[in-house]
Amino acid sequence: MKHFAMTRPRQPAPVAAPRMPRDADAVPDAAFDLWLQRSLHQLFDKVAKEPIPERLLRLIEDNRSK
Amino acid sequence: MSQSVFHDQVIAILPKLRVQALALTRNRASAEDLVQDAVCNALAAQESFIPGTNFAAWMHRILRNRFISNLRKRRDTTDIEDVPAAALATDAPHEDRLALKELSRAMARLPADQREALVMVVLNGLSYEALAEATGCAVGTAKSRVFRARRQLEAWLLGERPDAGALADAPAADAPGRFAGGRAPAPL
Repeated sequence: MKHFAMTRPRQPAPVAAPRMPRDADAVPDAAFDLWLQRSLHQLFDKVAKEPIPERLLRLIEDNRSK
Repeated sequence: MSQSVFHDQVIAILPKLRVQALALTRNRASAEDLVQDAVCNALAAQESFIPGTNFAAWMHRILRNRFISNLRKRRDTTDIEDVPAAALATDAPHEDRLALKELSRAMARLPADQREALVMVVLNGLSYEALAEATGCAVGTAKSRVFRARRQLEAWLLGERPDAGALADAPAADAPGRFAGGRAPAPL
C-alpha cells in the first residue's frame, strides 16, 4: 500500500516567479526569496564579473607605489 | 594595515562596488564613473581607515557618499532610466528572460535605498550590521529596507495589490538614506 505525504513536497526554486496569490501581509515566502536571490545573481553577476578597467587598476597601482 | 594590504583590499572589492554602484545609478556608465570616483576618494582617505574595522562597510560607505554628493551636483542629468540591459543579455530560456526583465523593471521601481540594501545583502553578502555601517543607519532600519524591498518585489511580481507600507519611509534614523534621485514608484 502506498503512502502519500500529507503535505506537498517542497519544489526546487522555480525559474519564473511563482504566481500563486498570497496574503499580502505574510512574510516573504522562502521559495520567492530563493528565486529572487538566483535572479538577482543572473541580473548582476555578469556586470560584477566584467574585467576591471585598466585605467582603474593603474590608478590603484600608481597610488600603491607612492 | 600595510599599504599593500589596503590596495589589495580595494582591488578585491571592486566587483562588489560595481554591483552597489549599478544598484544606485541604474546606469552602466554612471556606475563605472561612480566606482572610479569612490576609489579615488578611498585612496585619498586611506589614512582614515582603521585597521581591524570592516573594510567593506567603509568602502561601500565612501561610494554611497559619493553617489549622494554626485546626485546633488548633477541631479538633472542623472539617467536613472537605463535598465542594465547588458545584464539581461543572458542565454536563459525565453520565459526566464521575461521573468528577469520583469524583475529588472520591478527593481527599478524600488526606492534607491531599498534597491541598494537588497543587493548589498543578497549579492554582496553584507551583514545587516555592515549594511547599517555602510549606509549610516540603524541596524533595524537596514533590516527593514531589505525586508520591505523583498516584500514589495514579491507583491509586484506575484501580481498582488501594492503594499503602501512597503514604500513608506523608514524611521527617522533613515536619513539621509532616501535619495533625492530615488524614483518614486508608479502606481500599479
